[in-house]
Amino acid sequence: MAMQVGGSGELNSEINVTPMVDVMLVLLIIFMIVTPLLQSGVSVNLPRDMISPDEDADIAKDTSVVIAIPDNSNFYIGKEQYPLDALGDVIKRRMEGKTPEKRIVYIKSGIDVDYGRVVQAIETIRKQDIDKIGLVADKKKGTTPPKT
Amino acid sequence: MAMSTGSSGGAVPNINVTPLIDVLLVLLIIFMAITPLKPSRFEAKVPAEPKDQQNVNVKPNPLTLVIAINKDTKQITLNNEPYGDVTDTEKLNTKLHEIFKDRTDNGVFREGTNEIEKTVFIKSPKSVHYGDVVKVIDAAKEAGASPIGLQIDDLQD
Repeated sequence: MAMQVGGSGELNSEINVTPMVDVMLVLLIIFMIVTPLLQSGVSVNLPRDMISPDEDADIAKDTSVVIAIPDNSNFYIGKEQYPLDALGDVIKRRMEGKTPEKRIVYIKSGIDVDYGRVVQAIETIRKQDIDKIGLVADKKKGTTPPKT
Repeated sequence: MAMSTGSSGGAVPNINVTPLIDVLLVLLIIFMAITPLKPSRFEAKVPAEPKDQQNVNVKPNPLTLVIAINKDTKQITLNNEPYGDVTDTEKLNTKLHEIFKDRTDNGVFREGTNEIEKTVFIKSPKSVHYGDVVKVIDAAKEAGASPIGLQIDDLQD
């Protein structure tokens, strides 16, 4: 056979790179899936190291409504900035056709924002007949929520 | 040497794997930094907007727990009794634990249901930083409060 031309005891000095390429491709695919999820919306200085917030994968979904309040002057939904009085319409439009238990609006507010601004956002939300809001906060690593 | 049995031009078949390991380690580190960002949130209830201004006589529930934050001193009060301030929510947390344990032992139920009454309202002036309010919510939630309501109307500046 062609492979054995090298004659007696000749070693094949090529490395089999296929498994390595496999691993790299899998990593690449994972990255491609993960990165768009991370860049949903503007960056906000969220409250960190909280003990007991519940994990909620819905926050990262495209269909959920997340109002970001990075500072005292702006409101964002996704990457778009909206004035306070336009928020209501956007929320209403995006909440159309959702089941009652899915009618929740998430608020991502920076820790230095005045509570009054958050209250303004909540006021707009409740005018759309929504009584549940999710205050997004980062959980402290390695803690488990209390069992109630 | 045993390796060079290949006779003439004996190329040593070693690959330098260091760059490969470098790349993989960097990827690993990136992953480790990314994974803890699982989103989490506190669920809070807000009262529906009053439809009309009828003067309905609502009987105040004696079991209601209202946590208020003082605008200037940042002191926390639970039903008007002081329990520490926003930098130290330990006292509030302990007290709430006590209250809820008492209620569980004595079977204090929410009216018309068989759930233990654990409703907590949070009232904060508008000028308080959101971060401080969330700290209080965290303390209440940790003690088992549910639902947590936010007062929206008639807040101080």
